[in-house]
Amino acid sequence: MSALLRHRVTLGWLVVVALWIAAGLLKPGFARIGHLRYLLELASITGIVAAGQTLVVIGGGIDLSVAAVITFSAIILPLLTFPFDPSGMAAVAMTLAITTAIGGLNGIGVVLLRVHPLILTLATATILQGALILIAGGSAVSTVNPAVTFLGNGDLFGLPMTIVTWLLIAAVTLFVLHGTVLGSWLFALGTNDRAARLAGVGAGQAILAVHAASGFCAGLAGLLLLGMNRQGYVGIGEPYLLGSIAAVVLGGTSILGGRGTYLGTIAGSILLVTITALITVVNASPGWRAILFGGLILGLLLISGRERSG
Amino acid sequence: MSGTAPVLAAQGLVKRFFGNPVLNDVSIEIVPGRVHALLGENGAGKSTLVNLLSGVLAPDAGRLLVDRQPCARLTPALARRHGIAVVQQELSLAPHLSVVENVALGAVPTRHGLIDYGRLAVEVGRVLDRLGLDVALDQPVEELPLGKRQLVEIAKALYRQPRVLILDEPTSSLTAHEVQALFKVLAELRRQGTALVYISHRMNEVMHLCDWVTVLKDGTRTADRTMVGIDPPALVRLMVGREPGDLFPPFRSTARGELALEARGLTAPGIQGVDLVVRQGEVLGIGGLLGQGQEELLLALYGALDAQAERLATGGIDRPSRNPADAIGRGLAYVPADRKREAVLLPLSIRFNLTLPGLRRLARRGLRRFAQEAEVARELTTKLNVRGGGPERAVQLLSGGNQQKVALARWLPLSPNVLLLNDPTRGVDVDTKREIYLRLKGMAADGMAVILLSSDALELVHLCDRVLVFRDGRIAADLAHRQASEEAIVAASLGVARQEAA
Repeated sequence: MSALLRHRVTLGWLVVVALWIAAGLLKPGFARIGHLRYLLELASITGIVAAGQTLVVIGGGIDLSVAAVITFSAIILPLLTFPFDPSGMAAVAMTLAITTAIGGLNGIGVVLLRVHPLILTLATATILQGALILIAGGSAVSTVNPAVTFLGNGDLFGLPMTIVTWLLIAAVTLFVLHGTVLGSWLFALGTNDRAARLAGVGAGQAILAVHAASGFCAGLAGLLLLGMNRQGYVGIGEPYLLGSIAAVVLGGTSILGGRGTYLGTIAGSILLVTITALITVVNASPGWRAILFGGLILGLLLISGRERSG
Repeated sequence: MSGTAPVLAAQGLVKRFFGNPVLNDVSIEIVPGRVHALLGENGAGKSTLVNLLSGVLAPDAGRLLVDRQPCARLTPALARRHGIAVVQQELSLAPHLSVVENVALGAVPTRHGLIDYGRLAVEVGRVLDRLGLDVALDQPVEELPLGKRQLVEIAKALYRQPRVLILDEPTSSLTAHEVQALFKVLAELRRQGTALVYISHRMNEVMHLCDWVTVLKDGTRTADRTMVGIDPPALVRLMVGREPGDLFPPFRSTARGELALEARGLTAPGIQGVDLVVRQGEVLGIGGLLGQGQEELLLALYGALDAQAERLATGGIDRPSRNPADAIGRGLAYVPADRKREAVLLPLSIRFNLTLPGLRRLARRGLRRFAQEAEVARELTTKLNVRGGGPERAVQLLSGGNQQKVALARWLPLSPNVLLLNDPTRGVDVDTKREIYLRLKGMAADGMAVILLSSDALELVHLCDRVLVFRDGRIAADLAHRQASEEAIVAASLGVARQEAA
């Protein structure tokens, strides 16, 4: 990719490192391994949602249904308990299949109905939210699903499962983007849709695939969140809509598509979580904290994520 | 009429685009009460001349005179103030606004700073009546059929009561009835002393309406005379006849017996019941005036437009292609005319662009093989002599000619059976043109069928085994290489019956 992109990705990582050093010096306890590990666990949720989002955005689209899909996943899983499924694996597989299918429907809508993904995924989100109210009735649902609890709280060789899962997703995403035909097609479509189609790019397949992937990632993030909290409720996925898009753009990926890499998104995700953590120490009301958070993201975007004109 | 002072005149106009002269020493006098025809082939410089006369472009040399006064710097606003109005070929209406708003746009009558809707309706209604345009004043323009929209465009010009009215192909989408009404208005304007400039490819209209004619050829004026005593074949002769020089390789047919593509009754938006056959190794030319369905033909064959056909056989399958990817699978390849918007991906690398169409075949089970990609990119850049840096450079850093080579070269690894070329040398320098011609003939010699759409009649004359001339979405003439002179092609595009004796 271009030197500029490398530069943007590097910039994202430099900001993360600088922020961690500054926070470590200013705030006692921030640089403790345990705390950093906790931050990465939180970042992995955003990072996983943003993995699917990165694929969609590089292909020239956007997925505004991720928050609703996360919530949907976290609420639907506790309802899927079967006697034949003591490990809970079947419920996990079913949930992921459903969310992948929801993403796939987004893709089909974009391809066949030729509705702009912005509108279509927003509509999907609204429909899902309505369905959730019907299903869960607005109350929180708890889970005892062992597979999900392990995903959210377990360890593998001393590493939290959330981080392990993120590493896996990251590896696959990077491989798809830079090592497969699908990845190249996404860059081509995001750069110039018409030229890409005229060059024989399988636009329909590619769009369908990334929306399904985004559904899968959001579903997985929902399961991890559920495992960490042990209960799902309407609104649990809310912060991850802006979060996933901000992580993508902070990581240097063009919101207009065609340019970017998941390496940047990883930095963006960590950056977001770090800022959130630092803001909690500011002694202010939640309203002011939210304003501060939004302002900081805006500031960072001005530094790293501004689109070049022309 | 003679002796009337010109209201608008140009003397020795020169205009260059990126160093290429598009107008060279052109003079013209626009006189009140006269309909002045402006004729020329595609790219002869008509639009550039109109843009200079209306202040859209500034000349590199020469001067403009309005009412005999030299005008140092004519701007569109100044031109409007002098009463110069242009009806462009491409409509410039605001689709969501109503008829009345469009007609009066920028020239609305006001009272105390507010739009005087009462007066507006009366004034606009008067202009519409004159054109015989029967539409509701408050109807959004986008709801009107194309012909009526064109009349609204003309009404917009008339509303300003211009002294000079320039019409660029005003009848291209009008019905015969609407043309009649327009001609009546134009005749009336002429009587009232408006100076009219009329650009059209319809010879019968020019013969019927115009008093004076200026012919442009390759940016120079080849005629400026009265219409009295001139016939269409003579006008066509004035429009054609350039020296080909050594630009083209000597013609040698490489057509073989086997069919590469056969279409019968091909119909798509813009084309109607087209029959065509192209053989392996044959170069089939597609000519005609701009926008007569030539591009639509290529897009329909390529699956980029919805098409129906009684028969469309290529690559062993008889059905229209579903989409470009499907067409490519059947052995078709398409090189678009607008290379920046439809062919190359500007910010991406030369390697990426060169390997994109063949990527799926280069890869193994969807996984890219970088060594092979690099090899292919290296081979293609050498083979087509792409100059401008290594394979990782962005395509936008290449010159236009080299970008075009990339747009062509990327198809070679797929070895297509049928190559669809859409004006492949538009905006390309002479050396690259020569290289593209040689490459194109070379591919035909290897057995590829080449369908070459060109706006340059000389390319059709010198490169093609056969030329199909399009008019109104249909094939107007099917000329074998021997018959396909520049004159014959232009005559067929204009619908002029050619005199048999030369």
